[in-house]
This record gives sequence, structure tokens and C-alpha cells, in this order.
Amino acid sequence: MEISNLGKGFCCHVQKHPPIQLLRVMKLTALLLTVVCLQAGATGYSQTVSLKAKGLPLNAVFASIEKQTGLSFFFNYALIKNTKPVTLDVQDISIDDALNLILKGEGLDFYRTGKTIFIVKGQATSSSPVAVNSLTDGPDAGEVNIKGRVINHLGESLPSASVAVRNGKSTLTNEKGEFELRKVPVGSILVISYLGYQKKQVEVEGTSPIFVQLNLAENQLDEAHVIAYGQTTQRLSTSNITLVKGKDIDMQPINNPLLALEGRVPGLFITPANGLPGGGVQVRIQGQNSIGNGNEPLYIVDGVPYPMHTLTTTYLGPLGSSNAAFSGVGNPFSFLNPADIESVEVLKDADATAIYGSRAANGAILITTKKGKAGKSKATFNAQQGWGKVPRRLSLMNNFQYLEMQHEALRNDGIDMSSPYYPYFYDVNGVWDTTRYTDWQKTLIGGTSQYTNINGSVAGGNAITQYFIGGTYHRESSIFPGDNHDIKGSVHFNLNTLSSDQKLRVQLSGSYLVDNNKLPSLDLTGSALSLAPDAPALYNSDGSLNWQLDPTGAATWVNPLSQLYRIYNSRTNNLIGNGNISYSILPGLDLKANLGYNTLRTNETIKVSLQAFDPPSQLAYGTKARSASYSYSTIESWIAEPQLTYNLPVKNNKLGFLIGSTIQQSNSNGFSLSGGGFNSDALLDDIHSAATVSLGPSTHSIYKYNALFGRINFNHSDKYILNLSARRDGSSRFGPSSQFHSFYSAGAAWLFSEEELFKGKHSFLSFGKIRGSYGTTGNDQIQEYQYMNLYDTYNTGTPYQQTTGLLPSGIPNPHLQWEETKKIQAGVELGFVENKIFLVVNYTHNQSSNQLLSLALPSIAGFSSVPANLPAKVQNTGIEMSISTINVKTQSFSWNTNFNLTIPRNKLLAYYGTLPLNLVIGQPLNIVKAFRFAGVDPGTGLYQFYDNHGDLTQNPSFLNDRSQVVNVGPRFYGGIQNSLRYKWFQLDFLFQFVKQTGANYIFGQAYPGFPMLNQPTYVLNRWQKPGDVKSIERYNSALVDLTSSYANAIASDAGYSDASFIRLKNVFLSFEVPQKVLRNIHSQGLKIFLQGQNLLTITSFKGLDPETGSLGLPLLRVITAGLQIEF
Amino acid sequence: MKIRYISTLLLIFLSIVGSSCKKLVQVSAPTTAVTGNSVYNSDATAIAVLTGLYSKISASSTTSIGTLPSLSLFTSLSSDELTLWGGSTNRTAIAYYQNALGSGVSGIGSEYWAGFYSYVFVCNDAIQNLNNSTGLTPSIKKQLLGEALFMRAFCYFYLVNLFGDVALSTTSDYKTNALLGRSSVDKVYQQIIEDLKQGESLLSITYTDATLQTPSSERLRPTKWSAAALLARTYLYYRDWANAEAQASIVLTNTSLFGLSPLETTFLKASLGNNEAIWQLQPVNNGWNTEDAKAFIMTSAGPGQAFDFGAYLSDTLLNSFEENDQRRFNRNWIDSISVGGTTYFFPYKYKINTSDGPVNEYLTILRLGEQYLIRAEARAQQGNLSGAASDLNMVRARAGLGSTSATSQSDLLSAILHERQVEMFTELGQRWLDLKRTGTVDNIMDKVTPQKSGGGQWKSYQQLYPVSFSDIQADQNLSQNPGYN
Repeated sequence: MEISNLGKGFCCHVQKHPPIQLLRVMKLTALLLTVVCLQAGATGYSQTVSLKAKGLPLNAVFASIEKQTGLSFFFNYALIKNTKPVTLDVQDISIDDALNLILKGEGLDFYRTGKTIFIVKGQATSSSPVAVNSLTDGPDAGEVNIKGRVINHLGESLPSASVAVRNGKSTLTNEKGEFELRKVPVGSILVISYLGYQKKQVEVEGTSPIFVQLNLAENQLDEAHVIAYGQTTQRLSTSNITLVKGKDIDMQPINNPLLALEGRVPGLFITPANGLPGGGVQVRIQGQNSIGNGNEPLYIVDGVPYPMHTLTTTYLGPLGSSNAAFSGVGNPFSFLNPADIESVEVLKDADATAIYGSRAANGAILITTKKGKAGKSKATFNAQQGWGKVPRRLSLMNNFQYLEMQHEALRNDGIDMSSPYYPYFYDVNGVWDTTRYTDWQKTLIGGTSQYTNINGSVAGGNAITQYFIGGTYHRESSIFPGDNHDIKGSVHFNLNTLSSDQKLRVQLSGSYLVDNNKLPSLDLTGSALSLAPDAPALYNSDGSLNWQLDPTGAATWVNPLSQLYRIYNSRTNNLIGNGNISYSILPGLDLKANLGYNTLRTNETIKVSLQAFDPPSQLAYGTKARSASYSYSTIESWIAEPQLTYNLPVKNNKLGFLIGSTIQQSNSNGFSLSGGGFNSDALLDDIHSAATVSLGPSTHSIYKYNALFGRINFNHSDKYILNLSARRDGSSRFGPSSQFHSFYSAGAAWLFSEEELFKGKHSFLSFGKIRGSYGTTGNDQIQEYQYMNLYDTYNTGTPYQQTTGLLPSGIPNPHLQWEETKKIQAGVELGFVENKIFLVVNYTHNQSSNQLLSLALPSIAGFSSVPANLPAKVQNTGIEMSISTINVKTQSFSWNTNFNLTIPRNKLLAYYGTLPLNLVIGQPLNIVKAFRFAGVDPGTGLYQFYDNHGDLTQNPSFLNDRSQVVNVGPRFYGGIQNSLRYKWFQLDFLFQFVKQTGANYIFGQAYPGFPMLNQPTYVLNRWQKPGDVKSIERYNSALVDLTSSYANAIASDAGYSDASFIRLKNVFLSFEVPQKVLRNIHSQGLKIFLQGQNLLTITSFKGLDPETGSLGLPLLRVITAGLQIEF
Repeated sequence: MKIRYISTLLLIFLSIVGSSCKKLVQVSAPTTAVTGNSVYNSDATAIAVLTGLYSKISASSTTSIGTLPSLSLFTSLSSDELTLWGGSTNRTAIAYYQNALGSGVSGIGSEYWAGFYSYVFVCNDAIQNLNNSTGLTPSIKKQLLGEALFMRAFCYFYLVNLFGDVALSTTSDYKTNALLGRSSVDKVYQQIIEDLKQGESLLSITYTDATLQTPSSERLRPTKWSAAALLARTYLYYRDWANAEAQASIVLTNTSLFGLSPLETTFLKASLGNNEAIWQLQPVNNGWNTEDAKAFIMTSAGPGQAFDFGAYLSDTLLNSFEENDQRRFNRNWIDSISVGGTTYFFPYKYKINTSDGPVNEYLTILRLGEQYLIRAEARAQQGNLSGAASDLNMVRARAGLGSTSATSQSDLLSAILHERQVEMFTELGQRWLDLKRTGTVDNIMDKVTPQKSGGGQWKSYQQLYPVSFSDIQADQNLSQNPGYN
């Protein structure tokens, strides 16, 4: 069956098996937003037509009528295919009369709604659109048998759409979108709904077929969301889920899509390790649940789990780690192209995640990549170029202050020119030019990074097949001197297709990304803050590195740029491929399978050239100095998830069943080796050129996971919704006795605004929902094989008696089992003034127990600990709130605001055994136990502290005197985003805010006066003479070691201070070139835009960056300009 | 019909997905490791466990506290054998040197406790699994069981002598071990003797390679002779003189295998003609000879320079040597360097401390010289003075010294103890243990400790090292040695 439209003389081609065809939606769009209700013999329309036709095809006649009246025809092309040509000549007759004449004898009938005329088969002669079984009983008086068809906004039939008589029977449409209901009382209301589409209601007035077109829901309540193994809408969801759309990610010049979520999702706290491209990113959903093991959420990309951490590497580069439990550097999401992302869903509560069972105690992040859409092929090209800078400087001592400090330190220690130490104080003894001043922050981290992103895609397709192909080139250089950069290239494709009988759907997608990240092997930020301001020039006049040799020929400093000759290089290939296949067995009954494959392969090298060493060392070591380390790691995983879903309407209720299984496996392999004695820097990439080679550790582990899961969703009148899910999980990380565990959850929602009580009377309230959920999830993020009794190879340089040994790897615990998190969450969602103000408030209460920790053993047992489940308990409670408002919405101007706020509380409720040094019962896990700082002793000029009795001491005991608890976790955080659009201009800006305490930099990197080490200007406020009351201890040279005094100070509460900040995280400004201008260049759209990231930070933090801490490279301020053009 | 259709489908679906759950989450051991079940079911892997233990011990640096080789350094610091360089900042070395060991989480002194129990665990695990194993060649199973029993006894010998009453763990079950209290010294000795006797009956009489079947010219695995030698020492310490003599004689009478070597070859590997070795450890660190040589041989720069630990022979020891004792002179077992007018003497039993060149020196754990001294002492204690003197003179003769002048039992015993001091110096704690077992420790250390820089006053309780504070916390039945609280 085809539906065509003649308005533009367009007619669809004919197909033998014609299921859904593309329907051209013409001027009717506005009209079709409303219910299309057909009535036989439309009356009361007085417009007249004149027709003169001789042997004209029927559709030409319709076109003529359209032209005269402005009405539109809708019909199935197949219906008129075999009609006789029309011959006719009438003047000024009514449309009804004209149509009756034209259609006479063709077995066709017509119905009119508003300005649309539908041509349908005549009642008497037609068979119904649905294959009707023989009628066993006809309708009673006042009842009719009705048939109809449901199509979507593109004119495709909508299978499995729900058609229900209000308070009566219901059915689902078949694969052609057709339905039939028997014995429906005339006058009753049909409710037609489909997830993600606007619901429609039609009054049953007669027996004629009912055509309904459902349009995509464009309000946030009814848009389809991806959830675990399915879809839902915010309206019907019983879970705590937050959606971030791809367009919000596209607005940000970032290299890791996780960074785009900062400040946008309540309950989600993201901490970047540093501002390096490819750096680590820590992600916590609703706080830290596990004391000793993984706290990473489960990541699912297009239904396939994505690695949550990179593999443990031997060579720790500068990228920083994403997590404490695993030592891998960087973050696996650096290898997923942000431009490929259509949407990100953050699943937080048990109702949303229990169906992921063991893997989702820490929540889940679902990423959906871009897909093609039916319609005209569209090519999009996007290019942007930008620049990044370190946005903030620390106030450090200048030459005058610095030299004053060093001289005062020497005086304080009574060191004179004859001291044997004096020759080594190059910064003051004349070896360095004390009049020379270098701003090391400017020199080492003051550079400008280049940001280039070029992205192109082609998408399109028809009702049968849709495709998307995209490619991205991304280059980001570092702000360090030298040629360091991160280059990524990626391709992504997606293909959807449908069988001719509409039953089989296949979706394939894949992406491949190559990343080449080259950085100095050490972040130079630490050097930038600590190098003496009178330190020598970086380069000699001949361009070689300057080591400023002293009279004896020894180097007087470590030239920071020697790091440029210790290059860290990480090369990664990431391949993701997956397929979703579904087959519709019956209306509502589908058999599906998700299949996925992912390989993440990383090669890391650290290459040390001869120039990394000072000249005396170069001479001494010779070629031995050149060395290189290589590590190779691969994480390969696949998953298969067969599922069976069954959705059926039962009267006003919708029942959904899901049952499925997961079979997953992940293989991690890695090894490393290093070589020394290369003859040339050019050979450092080739291990074969090394004079000596030594092997590092290798890892090979297999993780297998299997589960059976099910879900029942019960929806009564879209008013009461109950969602039950359960999962039985097996993980290879546990021993045979406790491999399997069950998890479950129950969620319920009550849309009280649907109650009659609230309808109409309280029109201010347009939507109201209360929901709650309870459930259990688990955590198996421990290292593999811990339950196994294993013997590791004991390898030595020379094997003992020419054989390698085996030694027990530890004490196995065959009874290891799951960490369990019980989650209770309650939420209220309220929409006011036609949902222009929308408020969501969640309360969360999560408790994690059965913690996977180490049980301390006496050394008599052979090892100091055994992995065990301990009855320690961690509680995370929180209030999450988001408000979105549509402030203004007119044709030319719109303004939306989104605000979110999270107030988390983390608490250690119980512990078993000896508490680790940094934990306190009743306090968050994220604390630091600190000495209580008592300032500088006015007598001695040294730091003093209060011991646990409140007495002053200069040598506090680490074990007993750390009486202060400093909470370094966030107290509250959130963001506020505004989106404004005026005609062709669009402006979006996001402020992120965090209230927290963090380690500051007021004490510098060593005690004040430490030779050849610069200090922040906070240090100027030092003790100079007895009686001084100051915050910084006496300047002190190397003769009297104040290292422990300094170390105690930074470990005291004075070492921590407010690290709260408000950050203008993102600004996006675009100008869309008006369509009329574009016609000349045949473009569908042209946008010019500016993007800014981390533009402005308001903070009182005493350090470089309140977000990344004191010593790592801060997050860069990036500003880019670009254009996007569509064809 | 529809319902039946759906339920049938569901059943089929469930039976497919639910059938093989267990299998789907079973993994085999990683390719980098072998499981406990399979290790003891094949000869090669079972042998590899004991080989692993020897490798691990041999790989340990002499300066790495808590390991067997490091006994030569740290117990010698505790006793009167070594002087620690005044500029040393090594807190552990200073604490052992000053006999100022203490408890507490970061307290120093319990390193050997943890170190030796980690060896004991491997032995317990091996003994248990070997006893249960059925897949091994009987002769190999016998030898391995013997080696494991021998090694366990060897570890307990040091534990009981360093710490006094110790926890007697004979299982690898952590639940049992975590609750062990201390057993009396006597009980520990009985266990050592029992293990060694059994070991002696199980161990091979020939030295073999790692197949345990092919004879080897090196002496790298314990044999019946090693068990006898250690048993002789144990009986000596246990004051069972007759048995000590008998066991020492088992080794000493096997002249086809054993004999005293000239001083310059005493610490070479057996295949270079060193018949004195009863059990040696092969150096396993790439290209290096013994870790002992690395730790003790001082460079011309003097103590405290890079890689130098800063320990050298004490005047007490140097002054104990008789004139013309060849062990002291001619760079036989002692060498020296002069820096800034000071001459530093250091142990030179092991002479090669470079990473290039052939590996000729093996770390000697048991050797024949000690057996002569054991039998001499056992005989003297039993009144066989001439027999004692003759054994003693064997050792003296090798050092270029004349026969002993001692004639009375007590003089002879003193002479033997003195001979042990100059023969066995810096060899795995022999001197420290001798001082304690002969009851001379208080007398000698009363004089020595105050002479050590920062040494202070010797206190008798210091002859036992402290049990680790964290072990006492983790094991409610464990108590600290008196004096350390």
C-alpha cells in the first residue's frame, strides 16, 4: 500500500511488496500535527470546483482540484492505479458532488478532514485494510467494527503501535501499521500511541477506516530515550536518567566526550586528571561506592560494553590515571570521537541499572552514535580551528624576592662563602647570572596550543535503508615548547535496513579511530612553578640545550627541555563494530540480538635520546644512555545478547516483557620490553637496534560474563507504571561457589497530573509525576583470577639451573563474591505552564556492602593479605535537582535555561578490621586526615602543630596526631546553561560550579629557601626574627633539613583550602546564513560558529587549577572558530 | 494459540540461553600462570616451585632487609662484626647496628619475620600438595618433598634463633595461620629435627640438575648431605652433642664428595673444584656473580659513595685474627681500601663484583668448614678433646695456622668459638647466632654496643628481634617479645 500526495504532482513509484514508502509531507505539516479523523461524506464545505477533463488520469484530476481549492489529497497510489481515465466537464459544483462523479464506479470513497481529502476504498466493495477473519459475530447496535492504519511522520507504517479504546479493548498494529478492533461503541475514543511519538486520540464515529499519522514528539517529555535493552520517554520512565544530546557535545571543543558532560548531569561528577590531550578522566555517578575497587560506571556504546579503563601499562606517561584501582594511564574515551555521538544517557538508579546487574553498581553511561535518517541525502562538513592557553598563572617570586629569600636562608643557617655547600648553590654563588630573569610559567607552559577539528559526514536513505558515514580529523598540539601533539583520525558508519516484509531489521555500525599522542614524558607544569627565576637560558647560542656547566665541568641544573628528548608516545587503534538484528514474529513480539566487538590496542613508548643527559653524563654513558621502553596492550571484547520482547495492550494497560541473555568476553593482553645502548636516536623505535634488551612483565587475562535478565513493564493508562527487572549474573572473576548472583529492582511511577483531580482545575501544573525505585546492583571490578590458586612464573636474569621457577601468586580466596549496592531513589517531576517550567528532584540513598577488600593477615600466613568480602558499608545519599525553563519562545527569539544542582553525601558506615590510615567511620571516603596546623612558632620560626592532646609540637606523629578530617570530595556541584536564539543567531553558554576543598599550593614544592627552587609569593609572609607571627616558617638553606617540617605543613589542614569554583565551561555562538542566501551556493545550511571552553574561572583557590589540583597542567582555555555547511 | 506459540518460543529461548551458564563464565588460568591443581601433577612444574624458591632467595640483594642473603649484612651489624659508616642515613641499617629495634607500624626489626614466613608458606604449600599428589614420578616426588621439608626446617632454624618462640605454621591455610600463637623454642626445634630427619631420608645422595635425574657438577639443590649438615648444626644448637657429632660425621666421612678447599677457592662454584660446598645458590641476576660481593666490596671512593652500603669490618673482628691468619691477610677473605687516611677493611670471601665476565662464585649456604667446627664442639662437649682438637686443627691448618694450644675442655670450647668467629664471619648470621646460643651475647655486646656510633647501652632483651607490630594486630594470639612495647 502506498500513500501518495499529488500536491506537487509527485507520485510514488509502485512496488509489488510495498510496505512502507516514503511519504512526502507537503504543506500539510501543520495540519498533520493534529489528529486526522476521517468522516464519510464530508459535508458543509461550500467551495465549488470546475473541471474539464478528457481521458485524464485520476491523479491529474485531483491535482486540478487541489489547485482550485487549496485542498490536499491523500491516498494510496495502489487504489487508483487501475482506475479508468476521467472524462468530465462540470462547472461550479461542490467538491462533494465532483468527487462523487469522478469516483463513481471505481469502488472508491472519500473522506475529508479540514483541508485534506482522503481517498479510500468504498465500503461496499472493498476488503478492509486489514485481513479480516470471517465475522463470527457482528457488532451490536451502537457498535462498529473499525479498521485503520497508523503511519509515522515520514509516512512509514508503524508496526506495534498501540491502539486502545479508552476504558476498553486494545490492540497493536501489524507490521504494515494496520489494526482492527471489533465491536467498538460509536462515540468512544481511540487512543493511538507509540513510544517517542505524540499520542493521538480519535473519536469513533462510524465504520470507515481510520488513518492516523503520529508525529515525533518534540518536547522533552515524549522524546524517545535509550535505556538498557529498550527505549522509554521521560514521561513514562520510572528511573533516574539524564539525557545529554549530541548537539551539546558538538558545541564543545574537547577531545574526550566525557568532558562534555561536566556540569550538565546531576549526580555525575567528573574530574579530569590534567589538561593534556588524552589525559585521564575520573567519572563518578552518585559518589564512590567501593572502598577498594573499581568505581567506574558501566559504559555502553550502541549496546556494547566499552572498556572502563585502559590496560595497566608499565610506562606511566604524563597523561594521568582515570582511576585508582587500575594503573592504566589516560582514558579509553579519548578514543571515541565526540562528533559521532548522537546522545548520552546517564543511568543512575537501580531501576535503570539493575538489569545490567553486576556491572552497574556505579551507574551506567549509554552512548548512542549517529545514525542515518530517511530522506534526502545530506552531506555535512564541519571545520574548526582554535587555540588553547593555560588560563591562570600563579604568582611566583621574581628575581629580587627570590634572591632575597636565598640570601636570607643562607644567613639564617650561618652559611658563608667558605661553606663546603656554597659551591653547589649555583643560584646565588655566581655560577648563574643573577640578573637574568625567566618567567618559567610563560616559557614552559605559556605556549599556545593549536586545535583543529575537521569532520565530514554523509547521511540519508529511504524507508528501507538508511546510512551514515562520517570521518574526522582531529589535531591538538600541546602548550609545551617543542613539537608535541595528539592526532586522531576516525571513521564511523551506520547502516539500517529492513526486509521487504517489514519483519527483519538489521542495523550495523562501526567505527575505527587511530590516535597518535606525542608528549614529553613528564608534565612540565611542576618545573614551570619551581625553577629558580635566575636559572640559566634553555639553549646555547648554537641551539643545543644549555646545561650551564660549573667550573668543574658538572651540569648545574636539569634543563627542563631535556624532557623533550624523553618522548612519550602513545599510539592507539580503536575498532568498534556492532550489529543489532531484530525479527518481528508477531505484532508486539520481537526476537532481537545485539552483537558487538571492540578492540582497543595501545602501543606506548618512551624514547630517551642522548640529549636528555647533561654533557658529562653523555660522555660517561656513551651510547648506553640511549634507551627506549615499549609496551603493547590490547583489550579485545565481544558480546552477544539475544533478547525476546513482547508488548501487548490489555485494555487500557500496556504490558511489556523482556527476557534476554548476555554472553560477554574480554581478553586483555599486554607485554613490555625495554632496550638500551642504541647507536642513534633515529633507531630508538627499533628494539632490534638495542644492544641490550630486557623483558618487562606481561599480562594475559580473560574475563567472561554471562547473565540472564528479564523485565516486566506494566503501564495503566499512562498513569500508573510499574517496572520490575531482575538479572542473574555470572562472572569469571569469582570462584565456582559464588560465581552467580541475582540482582533485582522495582520502580514505580504515578503520573498524578493524569488524574481527573488535577486536570483542568490546576492548569498551572501541566505535568506531575512521582516515582520511586528500589533495587540491588553489584560490582565485580576486581582483578581477574583472584579466587584462583595460581603460581606465577618467577623469572630472573639468569635462570636457576637453566629453568624458570614458579611461585604462588598469593593466597586465593575461592569464596570471593559480589560487592552489592542497594539503591533507594525517589523523584518528583513537575511541569508548569505547559511544561515551560520543568522541575526534576531526586533523592538518592545508596548503600554498598560486602566490600571487596584485603583482609590483613599476619605475615605468618605467607602473604600480608587475602582478598575478601568484608562487611564494610558505604553510604551515598544525595539530592539531585534540575530545572529547565523555556523563558521566551517566539518565532524569532527563544531562550531556554537549564539548571542542575547535586548535593552529595558520602559516608563510611562500618568497617571490618583495622581501618586504613585515611578512613574514619562516619566520614566520607574522600577525606584526608591532616595535622592541626598551629602556625609558625614565634620563637624558633618553625611550623608547629597541635598533637592529639591539643599540645603544641614540631614533630607530630603521623599515626596519632592527624586529628583533622578534611573532606576533599565535592560538597555540591552543578551547572547552569542558557540557550538563546534570535533569528539566525544562536548563543549557548554553560556555567559549571563546584563547592569543594582541595590541596593548595601555599607551601610550594619544598621548604622555603630550598636551593635553586622557586616559591609562590605566599611564602613571602615568613618568619624572620623571634617574636614574628607569620604563616610561613623561616627561610632555610640546605644545611638544616626542614623537609619533614615542610612535609608536615602540607599534610596539615593548612595545606588544604577552598577549591570551589564557578567556571564558564562552554560558550557557543553561531550564525546561520539565511536560506535565501544559500540558494545560490546550493547549500542546505551554512553555519559559522565560535566555541569557547573553560573561558573564565571564578575561584579563590591558591593554586593553578581548582579542578585538576596544584601540579598538573590546568585545563586549557580553548577558543575555536569554525563553519558547518550542509548540502 | 498465540499464547501457546509464545510460551513455546520462550521455552526454547530460555533453554538456549540458560543451558550453559556455568560454562560461559569458566576461565582457565591465565597464560602467565599455572593453577595449583596442575602444578603438582607434572614433574617439571612441581620441580619449578622449589626452583622458584631458590631463585627468589638468590635474586635477593644482600642489602635488602628480610631476605636470607641479607642475614650476612644485618645480623653482622647487630653483632660485633661490622661497623656502619657514620654518614649512613639508612634508618634500617642504623637501627640494626645500634641494636635499637622497635615495634610500631613503621618500626624496624621484624623484617626477617615476614621474610622467612613467606618462604615457609611456599614450603608448607609444597609439602601439602606433594603429599596429595599422584601424578609425579616417585623419585622426583620423594626428592621434592625432601627439599621442601629441608627448606622449612632451614627457615625455622633462623626464625627460632632470631625471634625465640615463634608461630609454628605447618599449613598453607591462612585461616589456621592467622590465629597461631607462639610455640616454645623447644617445640620449634623438635619440628626442625623431625623435618630434617624425614628430609634426610627422602633426599637424593647425588647432586642433580633441574630435572632431578641427571647428575650435576654443581651443588644447587639440597641433598641428603645438606640435611645432615643442617641437622648437625641444629643438634649443636639444641645441645644434643652426640647427634650433632653423628650428623656432622655423615658429611665429613664422605670424602669422595667433600673436602676442605684452599682459601681462595672456598666460595667458588663446585664445578671449579670447590669440594667444600654442601649447598650453594646460583646467582640469578643477569651477568652478576654474588650479591654478597656487590654489597661488601668497597670502591676506591670509600664508604657512602653511590651503591655502597657503608658497612665494613669492625675492629673487634679484625683484632680477633691471630697473626699470620691467612684468612685475614693477602686479600684472601678480607680486603681493604684507604680513603683520606683511613683504611676500611671489608669481607672479601666473594671477590667478583662486576656484571661482566663469567659467573664463578656461588653463594655458599652450607660448607664443610662449619661441619668440622660443629663436630669439634660436639666432641669437646662430650669430652673427646683430642677428636675436637683434630677437627679444629683441620680448619686452622687451611688458614695457615698451627695446631691449637688449648687443651682443657673449656679452653677448647673457647678456641672453637673463636675459630667460628674468624672462619664464619659475615656468613648468614653465624656470629650473631653463636653469641646467643653460647650465652656470651650479653658479655660481648655490653662492650660492643656502646662503642657503636649512637649505640647506647646494650639491653639483654635486644638479643631477640621484635615481632612485627602489624602481625600482633592481625593475629590476636600473637604476643610481642619482652622489651619491645
